[in-house]
Amino acid sequence: MKNIEEELWNYLDGLGSKQEREHISYLIANDKTYQQKYEELLSFNKELESMELDVPPMAFTYNVMETIRTEEASKPLKAAIDNRIIKGIATFFIVSILVLVGIALANTHWSSNPEGITNFVANLHLPSFKSFNGPALRGFVFFDIVLALYLLDGYLRKRKTSEEM
Amino acid sequence: MQSKLTDIELIEQTLAGNQSAYADLVKRHQRFVFTLALRFTKTREDAEEVAQDCFIKAYRSLQSFGGNSKFTTWLYSIVYTTAMTFLRKKRLDTSSIDDENNFIQVENQNAAFENNMAENKSRSFYLNQAIEQLLPDDAMIITLFYKGEQSLEEIADALGIEPNNVKVKLFRARQRLKEKLERNLKHEVNELI
Repeated sequence: MKNIEEELWNYLDGLGSKQEREHISYLIANDKTYQQKYEELLSFNKELESMELDVPPMAFTYNVMETIRTEEASKPLKAAIDNRIIKGIATFFIVSILVLVGIALANTHWSSNPEGITNFVANLHLPSFKSFNGPALRGFVFFDIVLALYLLDGYLRKRKTSEEM
Repeated sequence: MQSKLTDIELIEQTLAGNQSAYADLVKRHQRFVFTLALRFTKTREDAEEVAQDCFIKAYRSLQSFGGNSKFTTWLYSIVYTTAMTFLRKKRLDTSSIDDENNFIQVENQNAAFENNMAENKSRSFYLNQAIEQLLPDDAMIITLFYKGEQSLEEIADALGIEPNNVKVKLFRARQRLKEKLERNLKHEVNELI
């Protein structure tokens, strides 16, 4: 069973059903005990509503933002770099590899020579760059092909794993 | 001058990389967060540390704020957990009563109390004094209810308890506060209540 104070606090907080509220309203108007207690709690409630908040030091916001800025600045590079940038760089390299491989294959003189495979690299006629040709360019293309195969392998393995799950 | 944007708009701007939007959010809620922290820590220095920690934690996990509740409800739940952790840590760190620092702190508090008694006997002073004497949970519920613009359901969300429990706790907290106020005021109580 609720005591008078509990009933009156519920009434002041706007809780309870319409019937309960009407009943308390009636009691406040007609019962001296309720009336007296209601006045007391109403006054106390007003005091609580007018309670003042404490004020933090002047530099509070500045200190918070400074800590955040310091934290942001000391974040590891890996976490700070946008994923889109990494993907953009990867796309650039993949497109470069594909273009170079395409050019190399387009310049190759295909023949039915039985030693065709062994002579394949020798038969490659790559576009000539004055300062970047010969073994260096071939090495670069070879490295690109290995990198492309490595990425393809990684992608296929990932796909296989996700299919198995 | 503080921004007129809503909390949600400021959060969106912060997430888009605008740090000054977060500074506006801090400015908007700093008084309340600081007051809540003070209800737990009882000293301004510790309250400042806890309140700052709350805003930094909120910034770090702003991405996880889904917007399902009010930002303030979410923020106050951070204040509650941070303050509770602080109190637990402080209890563990409690040193001997012979500790010189403790003695100085108590002495300073008494001096400050006496000065305040002499200089400031306003109604809000007595009320704040009584609130300070409450248990942190009681003080927090009263502050959230009266100054945080939080419903019983939102307070329940922030504290991780049932709304009915909040109702009971609020009722008891108000009773205890009234008793403390009456005890503190003695003769002045009739004037205040």
